[in-house]
Amino acid sequence: MAEKMELHEVEVWDGNMAASHALRQAQVDVVAAYPITPSTPIVQNYSQFLADGQVDGEFVMVESEHAAMSGCVGAAAAGGRVATATSSQGFALMSEVLYQAAGMRLPIVLCVVNRALASPLNVNGDHSDMYMGRDAGWINLCSYNPQEAYDLTLMSFKIGEDLDVRLPVMMHQDGFICSHTAQSVRALDDDSAYKFVGDYIPKNPMLDFEKPVTYGSQTEEDWHFEHKARQHNDHMNSFPVIERVFKEFKELTGREYNLVEKYHMDDAEIALVALGTTVESAILTAEELRKEGIKAGVVSLRVLRPFPFIQIAEALKGVKAVATLDRSLPGGALGMLYNEITASLYHSEHRPLVTNYIYGLGGRDMTIGHLKEVFKETKANADAGKLTVPIQQFIGLRGPKLTFY
Amino acid sequence: MELRGWDEFEIGSVLFSFNEKVENIPNVQQEDRSYSENNSFQASVAHWRVEKPIFNVDHCIDCFFCWIYCPDSSILAREKEVEKKGEKIMEQSMVGIDYVHCKGCGVCSSVCPTDPKSLLMVDEHDEEERVLANWPKKEGKEK
Amino acid sequence: MSKEIKNLKEYSKAAERFEGAHLLCPGCAHSMIVREAINATDSELVISSGTGCLEVSTAVYPYTSWDVPWIHIGFENASTAVAGAEAMYKALKRKNRLYQPERDVKFLAISGDGATYDIGFQFISGCFERGHDMMYICLDNEVYANTGGQRSSSTPIGASTTTSPSGRVSYGKKEKKKDIVQIMAAHGSPYVAQVAPNKWKDMVKKLKKGFDAGGPVFINAMSACTTEWKFDPSDTIDVSDVAVDALVFPLYEIENGTKLTITYRPKNVLPIKDYLGLQGRFKHLMKKENAHIVEQWQKDVDAKWEYLQRREEAGV
Ligand code: SF4
Ligand code: SF4
Repeated sequence: MAEKMELHEVEVWDGNMAASHALRQAQVDVVAAYPITPSTPIVQNYSQFLADGQVDGEFVMVESEHAAMSGCVGAAAAGGRVATATSSQGFALMSEVLYQAAGMRLPIVLCVVNRALASPLNVNGDHSDMYMGRDAGWINLCSYNPQEAYDLTLMSFKIGEDLDVRLPVMMHQDGFICSHTAQSVRALDDDSAYKFVGDYIPKNPMLDFEKPVTYGSQTEEDWHFEHKARQHNDHMNSFPVIERVFKEFKELTGREYNLVEKYHMDDAEIALVALGTTVESAILTAEELRKEGIKAGVVSLRVLRPFPFIQIAEALKGVKAVATLDRSLPGGALGMLYNEITASLYHSEHRPLVTNYIYGLGGRDMTIGHLKEVFKETKANADAGKLTVPIQQFIGLRGPKLTFY
Repeated sequence: MELRGWDEFEIGSVLFSFNEKVENIPNVQQEDRSYSENNSFQASVAHWRVEKPIFNVDHCIDCFFCWIYCPDSSILAREKEVEKKGEKIMEQSMVGIDYVHCKGCGVCSSVCPTDPKSLLMVDEHDEEERVLANWPKKEGKEK
Repeated sequence: MSKEIKNLKEYSKAAERFEGAHLLCPGCAHSMIVREAINATDSELVISSGTGCLEVSTAVYPYTSWDVPWIHIGFENASTAVAGAEAMYKALKRKNRLYQPERDVKFLAISGDGATYDIGFQFISGCFERGHDMMYICLDNEVYANTGGQRSSSTPIGASTTTSPSGRVSYGKKEKKKDIVQIMAAHGSPYVAQVAPNKWKDMVKKLKKGFDAGGPVFINAMSACTTEWKFDPSDTIDVSDVAVDALVFPLYEIENGTKLTITYRPKNVLPIKDYLGLQGRFKHLMKKENAHIVEQWQKDVDAKWEYLQRREEAGV
């Protein structure tokens, strides 16, 4: 039996340490991992737990991220709790197997510490990796700070392993800004944390020799479509389970999570939508602007996949103008948040004006000053009742102003 | 198997080999198993054949070369009642061909060491009785 | 448990765990190898396969030919898939959560040479370095047969493949076959061997040693391919016999990374010309202008045999 750890009521952890403790407390059976900046400390911390006898599971230190996810799929299909961590290029290398994990319906938990994708090479935080994997069929949860990284990692197991869901889960946190910034974290004690996550529930395990099972069959045109449709159906219908787990977590800790998070939105006239650490800066900015009499609010997606299509429109109901902030190069289109949120607003009763800001690539700071500028332009749109700026703008960029449409 | 709708099968596109819980499968012969509808044992590749093997038990020495080399698990080796020194005993024997899974490759006939052969490849539509009635005679050393 | 198999009568009592009506070609040696391997043990098996002929022919929805737990992920990662399952087995054993704790379990990866020599090589090397308790069998038919016969790094020199075709100015593949057996032995694994399904006795002995070795075991299994080597399906065993007797596929084993033993010595060593002449993929080598390729290859085969014998004599 692994030795339990005595934790303080308030620990000072960075996002990586928070995720590592969540993996330890969930008593993961197999971690197959390959270190990559900025998620490396998750793997290192876990190795130290193992070296100190605080973890019972198997730890397989593989030779690449592709192998890490391959090992995770093999282990999960065998029939037990599985998790790993990665970032950026490692995430990209895993991508083939990310789709396999989802298609085989294996509830692997992947701690993604978001980082830019090369080229050019960059080790800092942006959301390129998260965006790249968003259609892989995983549930995607987003955190802003170490406390949330801890909470949501624990919840990831409970959501993914639920028999009505049975899908892998990515838990995202921003590289460095969250992963390497130590903050106060209120962790559960080991027993309560494990009790919350619960025992692993087997489903079609390969190690059950009374019921030999074939994983990874080939489905051609007669069957593939139906299998993928089933996967999508169960993905779309995972909202109630996610919400139930959020509720149970609130009952245990008092900390509340929602599919879509709203800040100062009750009377908001304009809103900004962002993911990750930027949300916290945006909230501060909104609070400052409110002192100037601007009714600014902030909305964020706690759950990026399944996409809360109804809830996001609901959250933005009543605002006159919205700015969507994408921290990933859109690759020849408008940003993902712009496209998806506009689609949901298209069906809402009154359609606010929507703009798109590309920001923070490769870890470029998104300052309060920038955010103020975004809010002010959004306010101008609201006041004019029409767009006063181009739809897509790059912000925080040197050189001539870069805009489209 | 009939095609089904998206809500009518196990998640993860997994397939189960058997209907019931199984035990000690390495020692339970095919006829004593409860195969699921998804086991390829339930399917047939008989239509692949252009030629089929015919087995003539009279010449067979139970060497099992055909059994070990058949790529389609189609040589049936089972316990069979035989007479030895006036006594009836059960003995492992080559008992025939599984024509549902045989693809007619001809490997079994090619490796059969008896003279004449105990397995012959003939046209798929040839009749077993006719072939057995016209079985070749001993050829002597040729191969 | 791995079985002591003395004769085919005993061997044939094994109940099949690899079912017919898979979609491999008639006369395919892959399934001979798979049957020989599975039937050599009474243990429970967890098997993974990389993308290739075996995989695309044995689990085409809605059918599976496997009566054992089986998984396919991708082309490259059969080794790591089964290593992950083995890790889970160890974890559940330690935590007293095995589903049937009393059963003896073996972990087996089976893939083709494309998945082994080429795209999956890094994964296999990683698994062997980490020492998973698993066996890896390479079905070596020297070509990407599943996708229509493209060259692999196992394809021998002179073979005409769809990506190294012979033509007016080319004799086919320019490069020699990679020596995977030596490379795998260099990992220091407890047991590495080359086998051929036609030599079933040699093969089951090696499988038993492998299953009992308790570490990563690599078996390179010659798999004569009727479709891509271009010979009649009924000749699979004949072609295989000539291959081992011409020493193109010498049968030997290497224990603990160093101790090499030759396990089969042909009574009459055949010239490789006899082997090449049986297969369409080498037809063009019979032409006068390509005689130097055959000559050089024969020299290489002789030198390799000499090398193996010397190592055996030296006990290293
Ligand atoms: S013809 Fe081929 S498939 Fe049929 S029984 Fe003989 S060896 Fe098996
Ligand atoms: S190879 Fe011929 S002699 Fe041997 S068991 Fe088969 S049929 Fe009988």
